[in-house]
Amino acid sequence: MIIEKLSKHYDGKKVLNSVSFEIPKKSVISMIGPNGAGKSTVLNIISRLMAQDEGVVNFEGKNIKKYKSNELSKRLAILTQTNNVQMKLTVRELVSFGRFPYSGNRLTEEDKKMVDKAISYMELNDFEDRFIDELSGGQRQRAYIAMVIAQNTEYVMLDEPTNNLDIYHATNMMKIVRKLCDELGKTVILVLHEINYAAFYSDYICAMKNGQIAKFGTVKEVINKETLSEIYNVDFEILEIQGKPLSIYY
Amino acid sequence: MQSIAKRNNTNKFIVLTFMAIIAVITYMLIDLNFENSRLLSFAMKIRFPKLIVMIIVSISIGGASIIFQSVINNRIVTPCLLGMNSLYSLIHTAVVFFAGSASIIATNSNLSFAFDLILMAVVATTIYSYLFKKTKHNVLYVLLIGTVLTSLFTSIQTTLTRIMDPNEYDTLLSSLVASFNNINTEIIIFSIILLVLLAYALRKELALLDVITLGKAQAINLGVDYDVCIRKLLLGVTLCIAIATAMVGPISFLGLIIANLSRQLFKTYRHTHLILGSTLFGIIVLIGGQIIVEHVYTYSMPISVFITVGGGIYFLYLLLTNRRV
Repeated sequence: MIIEKLSKHYDGKKVLNSVSFEIPKKSVISMIGPNGAGKSTVLNIISRLMAQDEGVVNFEGKNIKKYKSNELSKRLAILTQTNNVQMKLTVRELVSFGRFPYSGNRLTEEDKKMVDKAISYMELNDFEDRFIDELSGGQRQRAYIAMVIAQNTEYVMLDEPTNNLDIYHATNMMKIVRKLCDELGKTVILVLHEINYAAFYSDYICAMKNGQIAKFGTVKEVINKETLSEIYNVDFEILEIQGKPLSIYY
Repeated sequence: MQSIAKRNNTNKFIVLTFMAIIAVITYMLIDLNFENSRLLSFAMKIRFPKLIVMIIVSISIGGASIIFQSVINNRIVTPCLLGMNSLYSLIHTAVVFFAGSASIIATNSNLSFAFDLILMAVVATTIYSYLFKKTKHNVLYVLLIGTVLTSLFTSIQTTLTRIMDPNEYDTLLSSLVASFNNINTEIIIFSIILLVLLAYALRKELALLDVITLGKAQAINLGVDYDVCIRKLLLGVTLCIAIATAMVGPISFLGLIIANLSRQLFKTYRHTHLILGSTLFGIIVLIGGQIIVEHVYTYSMPISVFITVGGGIYFLYLLLTNRRV
């Protein structure tokens, strides 16, 4: 996936200014940066939830706008932060929606197997018949991830998947992200606020500031004192734990 | 466990259908004089069209309310609460006002209905889709603006009737304050055809309703062409409300009651179930209410009084119990 010169305005204010980068396949890419840097906007544009004012998103050799929405939904999945469902929906029913791009409302035997697999992959077997609105935040998040797994796409995009989760659930979520890439061979692109999660679990980091890419590169290239201090305007110390950089800010 | 829930829902459907059939039979047969065949056929001639109208109204309001709630992802809002039926009354009045009651548009009831529908479709979809976009689907704003719009449409409409020629007003009145005792039977066939056509034209979008309730982002993620789909569904809702209003006048709370009863009873996301359930509830409430109006209160109270009182209380109950409004 190649992103070329994306720009976006809101009410005359420029939120994205000529953003270009290339997403390497089968890796975890984290987008970090201060609030309002445009991380979520980029994620929304490359997942077709939002239209850009200028620039092109080139998805597997073709402009993303040229794809049919249904075709894209088999290759690219997005999970946003706000997922409140007003319906009475059980976990299994939610996960089954992941098969909608393939079979519509009628699930085939193969779809059911995929749903079963996704549910056990996320260890949701115990609550597959519980209603979504009766689950805790962490369980609900896992149910949505299971749906994305059932959707079986090459690309998975997550907008702040650790938001509102405690450290136990947030760490689990990051391990799942890693597994999505290592075991299922997916390309995972996520927006993160916790720099250390990004440093520990990603292959590449895309740091943004003021609607522009401040730095894109491997974890070691981005997580260093100079770059982070410049992006966040905060003093940083970088330690090393298990061969990965750990940042301390104060 | 899932199969138990499914079986439960089937049982509920059987009970509900059974109740609806009982209501229909009671309505048709109550207080009938079987010895005098002329009286019998007279009673049938009055009751049968009314029955058909009530069923059509149940289908259009029940369907429209469920679809509308799913589209804007909130279960306490119905198209009527946003003033769609006052808009229809306004359009109908305006047509008579500007074309004159003697014109061909006003005298032929099917033609006038068709003309109203076209206007309604254009105006309502423009206003409401703009409204949703502008408020970014913020339900409280939508409700507030909807209430204001209701009064606005009603005031314009009353103003038009005040400055109208008294004779014109007289002809208009009978078609304007329709109720179940004064139904518009001339457009029954036209309405049935229209409903069937609508269901056929929107069959693809109706199948997408289950996914749409997951929210805009999820719907797009799962491959729904969201904006086009929503626009089509809103158009369908508008036309359904227009049909119901043209036949029996505005009954604001009916949609709210039957849609929520259906949601409460079936606890499912499947819209085929929800729409069917809400239609059945509509038939039970309307026909049951009409039996009470005709045989207990002997026409001294219109059914809209019951619906408004009952619906108002139910609306409050929903507001107080639904934490995530």
